[in-house]
Amino acid sequence: MLAIARSELIQIFRNRLVLVTMLIIPAASSAFYMYLHDRIPGLDLGAVAAVLMFLVVTMGLYTTAVTTLASRRQNLFLKRLRSTALDDPRILAGLLLPVTLITVAQVAVILTVLSVVADPPAELLLLVVSVLATVVMMVGLALATAGVTNSPEHAQVTTLPVLVGVLAIVGWVGFTGTEELTQLKRLLPGGSAAELVVNAWNGGASVADSLFLLAPTLAWVAVAVVLAARVFRWEPRR
Amino acid sequence: MAALPGKRSGGWNGCMTSSAATPVIDVERLNVRYGDFHAVKDLSFQVGRGEFYALLGTNGAGKTSTLETVEGHRAASSGTVRVFGRNPRERAAVRPRTGIMLQESGFSPDLTVRESVRLIGSLTRRTDRVERLLGVVGLTDKAGTKVSQLSGGEKRRLDFATAVYGTPELVFLDEPTTGLDIQSRDDLWDAVDRLREDGSTIVLTTHYLEEAQQRADRIGLMHQGVFHREGTVAELTRTLPATIRFALPPSAPELPIPATRESDGTFLVETLGLQKDLHVLLGWAEDHAVELRELQAGPTRLDDVFRSIGSERAA
Repeated sequence: MLAIARSELIQIFRNRLVLVTMLIIPAASSAFYMYLHDRIPGLDLGAVAAVLMFLVVTMGLYTTAVTTLASRRQNLFLKRLRSTALDDPRILAGLLLPVTLITVAQVAVILTVLSVVADPPAELLLLVVSVLATVVMMVGLALATAGVTNSPEHAQVTTLPVLVGVLAIVGWVGFTGTEELTQLKRLLPGGSAAELVVNAWNGGASVADSLFLLAPTLAWVAVAVVLAARVFRWEPRR
Repeated sequence: MAALPGKRSGGWNGCMTSSAATPVIDVERLNVRYGDFHAVKDLSFQVGRGEFYALLGTNGAGKTSTLETVEGHRAASSGTVRVFGRNPRERAAVRPRTGIMLQESGFSPDLTVRESVRLIGSLTRRTDRVERLLGVVGLTDKAGTKVSQLSGGEKRRLDFATAVYGTPELVFLDEPTTGLDIQSRDDLWDAVDRLREDGSTIVLTTHYLEEAQQRADRIGLMHQGVFHREGTVAELTRTLPATIRFALPPSAPELPIPATRESDGTFLVETLGLQKDLHVLLGWAEDHAVELRELQAGPTRLDDVFRSIGSERAA
């Protein structure tokens, strides 16, 4: 598993396109949001943190993971890996470990910058938990999406619904709160995770209530895993 | 090419007989279906320890489905497949003893040759030296080259290197010489010969029937999901007549044995008594001072066994 992870890391640093998608775009977006935060007084810091985090996790992790899996399948590298003694979960873990760790590091850096530029989060531990739950959810959705993606090029289309949808939901929930349409907002993918980040950053909500918000995110993980188990393919269609 | 050392551990002595107690591969009433399409029908066969078994067939005969099931890449619809007495889908148990050369290369284009061999080799859980393997397949000079820059033949050799990493007990070679030049082909078979000296069992599919005819101990010839024939090369070709071919000058007298005139003007004799008929023909030519031009005589080739399937199909 670590051998695969190491070779993936080598490839990430050799493939400029992947590197650009994974590093430059989220970093630039983050810089833009920080610029907005300076210009617009009274901008909800928790909501900004939620949107920033999701930008990195969707664009850096979700999109890259789907593209990587589709590409490794298309050139039969997945089949090659399955010709060895390694089992399927370890193959997937090895393939996705580097991009996941890089994403977690990116989120950590960006949120650290935010807490230095503006105010630090009220509940650090809760923030960490919500980031990790979000990462797991997006990895699950990436596996499911990869199942319906035929090629790396196709990934540009297949990732759009989740990418745009989740970002829209997070922006909506982050900036308008969950006073109205509470159930809907919490059940949509990313909705409760966004609320959790807002609560963790701004404080004021009880920890028990906040932990309850993990449930929808974990439910989406389950949905994604079930979907992935049904639609994920290891070899290209013939 | 460097020699393959006998790196195998454990109490296995490389016995070459095909009648070893437990077969390495044991397939019983295998069926593979894709929706309505029945690709493999009630197929049963065994491959003994140290044996060289060739799985051949017409296009769409079901040999890839069979091979992929035995390799553990595909689940059987019904029937049992055992490799080393285990389900081939139990990768942790079977794959450390198995090397697989896929029909199509599946390497990451951004990794180098050395990195690819090291990665895939280490995942087999066997041990070997990457430099040794690159020597075996003649890719030492390309060690630092990215896979995307290799030719088709070089990719096949890379594939072979990962399959024989650590000298596995069982090696699957799926069309191993497709795209290889003559020299690389000879080198590959030399390496296979050394694997066999170490006692490895070889399962081959190929479109080059000569390779199978020259090397295989036994052949399973598939057609429409079942074995059209299975047995040694001699058993397969025995049922078909041997052939004698020659051209004659226009003035030649009548032939002593029945022959058909081919479209290119040469004569073809099909016979189940090659030695006797050849003797008669040569005696006749000697007596009449006739020159038999382009004379060829030989046993049935595997190609002809294949053609006979084709004609049965047309009939």
